[in-house]
Amino acid sequence: MNIETNFFKRLNDWVNGEADRLFPELHETDAPKPPEPVATIGPLPNKDVLFLTSYQAVALIVVIGMVSILLYTVYKLPLFGVADNPAVNEVVERYVEKGLEETGAVNVVAGMILDYRAFDTLGESSVLLLAITSVMMLLLKDEKNTDPDEELIEAHEAVIEDHNRDMILQTMTIILMPAIMLYGIYVILNGHLSPGGGFSGGAILGAGLILFASGFGHNRVKKFFNMKTFRTLTTIALLGYGVLKTYSFLLGANHLPTGIPLGTPGAIFSSGLIFVLDICVGLIVACTMYGFFSVFSRGEI
Amino acid sequence: MIRFLTDLIGVILISSSMFVFASSVLGIYRFRYVLNRMHSAALCETLGMMLLVSGLTFLLGISWHSAKMILIVVFLWMASPVASHLIARAEVLTHAHITDELEVVDDERHI
Repeated sequence: MNIETNFFKRLNDWVNGEADRLFPELHETDAPKPPEPVATIGPLPNKDVLFLTSYQAVALIVVIGMVSILLYTVYKLPLFGVADNPAVNEVVERYVEKGLEETGAVNVVAGMILDYRAFDTLGESSVLLLAITSVMMLLLKDEKNTDPDEELIEAHEAVIEDHNRDMILQTMTIILMPAIMLYGIYVILNGHLSPGGGFSGGAILGAGLILFASGFGHNRVKKFFNMKTFRTLTTIALLGYGVLKTYSFLLGANHLPTGIPLGTPGAIFSSGLIFVLDICVGLIVACTMYGFFSVFSRGEI
Repeated sequence: MIRFLTDLIGVILISSSMFVFASSVLGIYRFRYVLNRMHSAALCETLGMMLLVSGLTFLLGISWHSAKMILIVVFLWMASPVASHLIARAEVLTHAHITDELEVVDDERHI
C-alpha cells in the first residue's frame, strides 16, 4: 500500500469520524498507545473475499451504467421551449391562446386544471379522500382494537404531555400560526390570479394546523376541528365540487350558456367556477393533511 | 464601479456561505452524537442561509424580490432554531444515560 491510498484511507476515516486526527504524525505525544486489539476472527472464507473484492467494481459498473442511461435520455430530450417540440400541439396552443377568454382565469394553469380538465382534479381530490379513508380503516381507534390498559396508559401519557408543553414552540406557534393561515387562505383565494391554488394553499393550511397541534396538543385543536367538522368539510367540498362541475359539464358543453358570469379577468371575484372549486380543493387537502397527522399520531381526529 | 463592488460583496458572501455549508456537512459526518451533529446542522440552516440570501440580495440590488428573500431568512430564523431545540429536547428526554455522552475528553492525552 503506497502513501497515496494510505492518505485517502485516512481522509475517509477522518470524515467518517473514526480517526481523531487527519495527520497523526504532526501531533506526536508521549502518551502510551492503547494496546492493539487482538484479532479473533480467522481468515475470511473464499466466498466472502470474492464478494468483498468484487463489490466495489460491481457497484462502479452499476452506477456508471445507470448514469449513462440517464445521461443518454437527457441528451435525447427535446430542448426546452422550442416551438416544434412534440408537446407543443394544438391543445397547448388552444389553452394558451383562448384560456383567458374561455375560463376567465389569468393563471392559465388554474384554468387548465379546474376548467378544461376539472374531471381529472376531481379524481385527484377523491384519491386524497380514499387515502385518508384507508388510513382510518387501519389505524382509527374503536372499541374493538383497544383494551382498557392501553387506554389508561395513553391517558396517563397525555396528562404528562399536557404538563410538559414546550414554551419556545408555543411562543413561536403564536407568532407564526396567523401568518401561515393567512398565507394559505391567500394562496387558495388567489389561485386563479397567481401561481398557487387549492392544492398548495390547502397544504399550507394543513401544515399550520399540524404546527398548532404539536404546540398546544390535540385537545386544543379538537375545540374547533374534530371528527364532525372533518366529515362535514370533506363531504361538502367533494359533493360541491361534483355538483358544480356536473352542472357545468352537462349544460356548458358545445358552447351553451351556463349562466355563470366570468367577470372581469384579474378581479378577485372572476373566472366563474374556478374560484369556488379552488376553495373546495383547498378544504379537502387541508383536512386530509391534518387527518393523516392526527390519525397516525393519536389514532383519532 | 458601485455595481462591481456590490457584485464583489455578493460573491464573497455566497462563497463564505458555501464554506459554511461544506463545513456543516463535514460536521454531520464527522460527529458521532446527535447533539453534536445537530449543532452543525443548525449552523448551516441559520448562518449559511443568512450569508447566502444576503449575498443574493447584494447581487439583485434593492427590489421586492430581495425584500421577499429577507422575509425568507426571518421565517427560517424563527422556524429552524425551534426545530433544532425540539430535536435536542426529544434526545435529552428519551436518552436514558445522557450523562455518559456529556463527558469532556481531554483531546491532547486521550487520542
